[in-house]
Amino acid sequence: MKNNKKLFKINTKLWNGIAITSAIFSFILCILIIANFLQINRLDPINTEIINNLVERLSQNPNDEALRLEIREIDLLARKAYFTNQWQIRTGGYLLLIGVIIFIIAIQMINSAKNISPEIGEKDENNLFLQKTARKWISIGGAGIVVIALLFAFLTHNKLGETFTNAAIAENKLNNEDVPEETNTAQAQTEAAIVETTEIDATEKEEITETETIEKEKEVIQSTIADYPTTEMKANFPSFRGAGGNGVAYQKNIPTNWNGATNENILWKAAIPLHGYNSPVIWGNKLFISGANATSKQVFCYGRNTGKLLWTANVDNVTGSPATAPAVTNDTGHSAPTVTTDGKKVFAIFSTGDIIALDMTGKRVWAKNLGVPQNHYGYSSSLYVYEDKLIVQYDHRSASKVMALSVNSGDVVWSTNRKGKISWASPIIVNTGNRVEILLVTDPFVASYDANTGAELWRLDCLYGEVGPSLTYADGIVFATNEYASLVAIKLGETPVKLWEQFDYLSDVPSPVATDKYLFLATSYGVVICHDAKTGAVLWEKEFDNGFYSSPILVEDKIYLIDVQGIMHIFKADKEYVSLGEPKLGEKVVSTPAFANGRVYIRADKNLYCIGK
Amino acid sequence: MKKSLSIIFLLIIFSIQIYNVIAIQRFPKPEFESGHTQPPTLTPSPRAQALDILDVFVLAAALSIVSWLVIKKRSRKGVFWMSVFAVLYFGIFREGCVCSVGSLQNVTLALFNPEYSIPLTVIAFFILPLVYTLFFGRTFCAGVCPLGTLQDIFALRPMSIKSWLEKVLGVIPFIYLGLAVLYAATGTDFIVCRYDPFVGFFRFEGTFMMFIIGGLLLLIGVFIARPYCRFLCPYGALLNLVSRFSRKHITITPAECINCKLCEDSCPFEAINKPVVLKDKEEKPIASRRFIFISVIIPLLVLIGGFTASQFHENLAIVNPKVRLAKELINNTNYGEPNEEAFEITAFKSAGQSKEELYKEAAEITNQFYIGGWILGGFLGLVFGFTLLSLSVFRYREDYTPNKGTCISCARCVDYCPVLPEDRSL
Repeated sequence: MKNNKKLFKINTKLWNGIAITSAIFSFILCILIIANFLQINRLDPINTEIINNLVERLSQNPNDEALRLEIREIDLLARKAYFTNQWQIRTGGYLLLIGVIIFIIAIQMINSAKNISPEIGEKDENNLFLQKTARKWISIGGAGIVVIALLFAFLTHNKLGETFTNAAIAENKLNNEDVPEETNTAQAQTEAAIVETTEIDATEKEEITETETIEKEKEVIQSTIADYPTTEMKANFPSFRGAGGNGVAYQKNIPTNWNGATNENILWKAAIPLHGYNSPVIWGNKLFISGANATSKQVFCYGRNTGKLLWTANVDNVTGSPATAPAVTNDTGHSAPTVTTDGKKVFAIFSTGDIIALDMTGKRVWAKNLGVPQNHYGYSSSLYVYEDKLIVQYDHRSASKVMALSVNSGDVVWSTNRKGKISWASPIIVNTGNRVEILLVTDPFVASYDANTGAELWRLDCLYGEVGPSLTYADGIVFATNEYASLVAIKLGETPVKLWEQFDYLSDVPSPVATDKYLFLATSYGVVICHDAKTGAVLWEKEFDNGFYSSPILVEDKIYLIDVQGIMHIFKADKEYVSLGEPKLGEKVVSTPAFANGRVYIRADKNLYCIGK
Repeated sequence: MKKSLSIIFLLIIFSIQIYNVIAIQRFPKPEFESGHTQPPTLTPSPRAQALDILDVFVLAAALSIVSWLVIKKRSRKGVFWMSVFAVLYFGIFREGCVCSVGSLQNVTLALFNPEYSIPLTVIAFFILPLVYTLFFGRTFCAGVCPLGTLQDIFALRPMSIKSWLEKVLGVIPFIYLGLAVLYAATGTDFIVCRYDPFVGFFRFEGTFMMFIIGGLLLLIGVFIARPYCRFLCPYGALLNLVSRFSRKHITITPAECINCKLCEDSCPFEAINKPVVLKDKEEKPIASRRFIFISVIIPLLVLIGGFTASQFHENLAIVNPKVRLAKELINNTNYGEPNEEAFEITAFKSAGQSKEELYKEAAEITNQFYIGGWILGGFLGLVFGFTLLSLSVFRYREDYTPNKGTCISCARCVDYCPVLPEDRSL
C-alpha cells in the first residue's frame, strides 16, 4: 500500500470541529431558506388583499388623494418586504454554499489524514446467487413496467390522433362554410329588404307564425349589421377618418385644385378660437371641432356652408375633472382626439379624461370624467359611435381598456380590460360580413372586440413600441403599422392569421388606407408607399419634400393626402403613381381633412377652410 | 521559457477581449423619448464564439490530462483536482451548458430535424468524450463532467450496495436515454436539460424544486456515490457501452494481481469485477438452456416492449406542448385555469396559427410518438434482453479487474493496490 507523504501534519481535531460547526451552520441555513421560500411563495406583492380592497375603494372615489397615498405606501412596503425576502434567500444561498464548501473541505482534510484501511471481508458473495437475484428483479421490474404501462395506456386511451384528425377536418369544414354563410347573409339582406318594403295586408299578418316573426327579426338584425356604416353615416363624415374611422369618404365631386394664396376655390375660411390637433367632422350642415389648453376646453360648431361659428360649448364643471390638466407635449396637446357625432349629439374627450355629450345646439346632455389618462405625450384616441354606444379606447399606463358608454346617459354599457400598453391610435369599426368588430391596436397586439358586448373576439401579437397610427381594413384584411416595428397584414377568419409583414417603410403618425387591391401608407418623413394588399409587394414609392402627419383618405378612386406644409397630394388609388393635383393651402396642416359632396374641409394650424367650387 | 509563457498569457487575454467585440448587440437598444431605460436581462447572454472554441480546447485538454493522470500517473489526487477544475470551469464558468450529457439531445434533434442547425461546438462536446472513452475508458466521467465531478466531491462516506441491485438499477439510464432521444427527435423537449438537477447550483439560479432535487441527490451522494451517474445519466449509458470496447482502460494493479483482496471494497461504484472461481459455475445443461431461452425470447421482448410503448404513446405525446394545446382546445379545459384564459391559449391566439393547422400538427406528432413508441419499446426490450443474457453468462476471472462498462476511471482503487510497477519483473 502506498504511504502518502504528508507535507504537514493535519490537525484532525480542528477539522472535525470545523466540519461539525459548518454542518450545523449549513443545516440551520437550509431550514431558514426553505422557511423563507415558503413564506415568499405565499405572498404576491402586487396582489394583496388589503391593497386590492383599497384600490377598489379608490376606483369608487378616484379623487381621494389621501387614499391614493396610503395605497402607494402600503404597496411600497409590500414590495420592500418581498424584495427583502428575495435578498435573504439569495444571501442565505451564498452563505449555505460557503458553509457546504467548508464542510466538504473539512471532511476531505479529515479523510486525507486517514490512512487507507481496506477491509478484507470474507463476504464471498456467490456469483450465481448475484446473477440469479439480478435476473429475477430485472424480470420483475420489466414485467412491472409493461403491466403498469399497458394498464395506464388502457385507462387513459382516448384516440388522440384520431381526435386531432377529426378536429382538423371539422375546422376545415367550418372555414369553408364561411363563404356560403356570407352568401346566405347577402341573400338574407335582400330578403329582409323585400320583407321591409312589401306591404303585408292584415289577413296575411295574422298568418305569420311565431317562427316567421323570429326569422324576420333575425333578418332585420343582419340587415342592421350589413348597414354598418349606415347610409346616414356614409352621407356625412361623422368621425376621424370618416365613418367607422377606416379612411374612406363616400362623397363625390371633390375638387382637385385650389390655392390658399389666391383664394381660388376657397369657399370660406374661419379662425379657430382654441388650438387643437383634432380633425373636423360633419353632420348635415354642421361641422364640429374641439380645442383646448391647460385651462380651457371647448367644442365648436360651424355652419358647413357659411363658415359661421354657430355655437361654442365650454367643457367645465365636470365632476371628477382634475384641478390641473396633466402634462402633455406640444405636439399632442390637450385636444388631440377628434370629436364624433351620431346626428343627434356631439361627443368630445380631452387630455384630462373629461368626456362630454352635447346636443346639436350645443346644450350639454351629460359629462363625466373617466379618470386622468396616464399618458406621457397626451391622450389622443378619437371617439366613435356604434348604434347607441359611444366607443372609447382608453389605453393608458395603469389600466388599459375599451368601453362603450350610453350615448344618452354616459353610463358604461360594457367595459373590457386590455393587457396592452399606452396607445395613441384610434379604434376602427368595421363590418366584416357577419359581424361588426371594433379593431384596436397597441403594443403588442391588434385585437378585435364585439361591438355589442365588448367581448374580445381575437388578438394577435404583432407590433411593439409607442403605437400612433390606427388600423385600416379592406376585403377581409386588417393592416397595422408602427415605426421601428413593422407593417402587418392580418387575414381575418375564425382565427386571424398574419398574411404578410414588411419592414421597409413604416409610419409613426399617419394611418394607412386600403382598397381591395392596394394599401397606401404615408410617413412623417415624406415617403408614400403603395403595397399590393394581398402580397405586401411594394408597387411604388414616392418621396415628397414634406412629411405627413395627416392620414390619407380614399375618395372615389383617389387618395387625398395633405402634407405638413398644407400641400394636398391627390393621386390615383392605383398600382402606379399618377398625380391628379397638388393644390397648396398656404398654412401648416397636421389634421386629417373631412369631406362633403363637392367640398373639402381642412383644419389648418389657425384656420378652418372650406374648399369647393 | 518565461518569454513563451508571457506570449501565451497575452494571447489568452487578447482572445478573451474578442468576446467583447463579438458580443455587440445585433440591434441597438431603442431610445425612449419618455426616458424609459431598458432593464438588464436576467438570463445569461449567449456565449461568444471565441469562448465556444476555447471551451472545446479546454474540453480536449481536460480529457487528455485526466486520461494521462488515470492511465499513466495512476493519480487519484490528480483526478480529484481535475474534478474541482471541472466543477469550476464546465460547471460554474460555463454555467453547465452545453454539457456532453445534454448534447445527445441536440445531436438527436439535428438528425431528425433538418431545419435545426447544430453548432459544431455541441457536436464536439458530444463526440470528444465518446472518442476518449473508446481509447481510455470513462475518463470523462472521472474528472471532466461537471455533473459527475460535483457528486464525486460529495462522496464522503460511500457505502456499498448489493451487486444485484446495482445491475437492476443500471437499466434505468437506458430508459432515460430512450425517452430523451424520443422527446428530442419529436422536437418536444430536452428532458435531460429540463430535469438537470445540478445546473441550478452552477448558475446560482433555478427553481426551488431544482435546488431541492439537486440537494437531495448530493445528500444521497454522500453515502451512495454518484447516484445520478450510476442510475440516471443517459450519456453515461452510452459511455458504458463504448467503454466496454476501450483500448486502454485503467487497471487496478499496475502489474500482476496478487489477489490480496485489499481493493475489493475500494470502489464506491461497485465497479470491480471480483475473481470468479470455477466452483461458481452453473451446471452446463441448465446454463445453456437458459442462455438459448433468453436468446430466443429477445425478439419477443423487443415486440412486447414495442407494443407496450406504442400503446402508451398518447401518454408520452401529451408532454408535447402542441399536443397538449390541441387537447386543451378541443376539450375546452383551459389548462385547468378557472378564472382567466391560460397563457398558452392566449399565446396561440396571438401567434396567428389556425386551429386546423394545429390539430393537423398535433395528429402528426401523435403519430410520430406511436412510431417512436415502437422503437423506444423495442430498444428497451433489447436492453432488458441483453442484460438478462449477460447475467446468464459465466465469466471465469482470476484477478480483480475494473468493470469496463460501469467503471468511471476515478482511480480510487489504485491507491489500495500494494503492487508497485517495478514489481512487474517479479
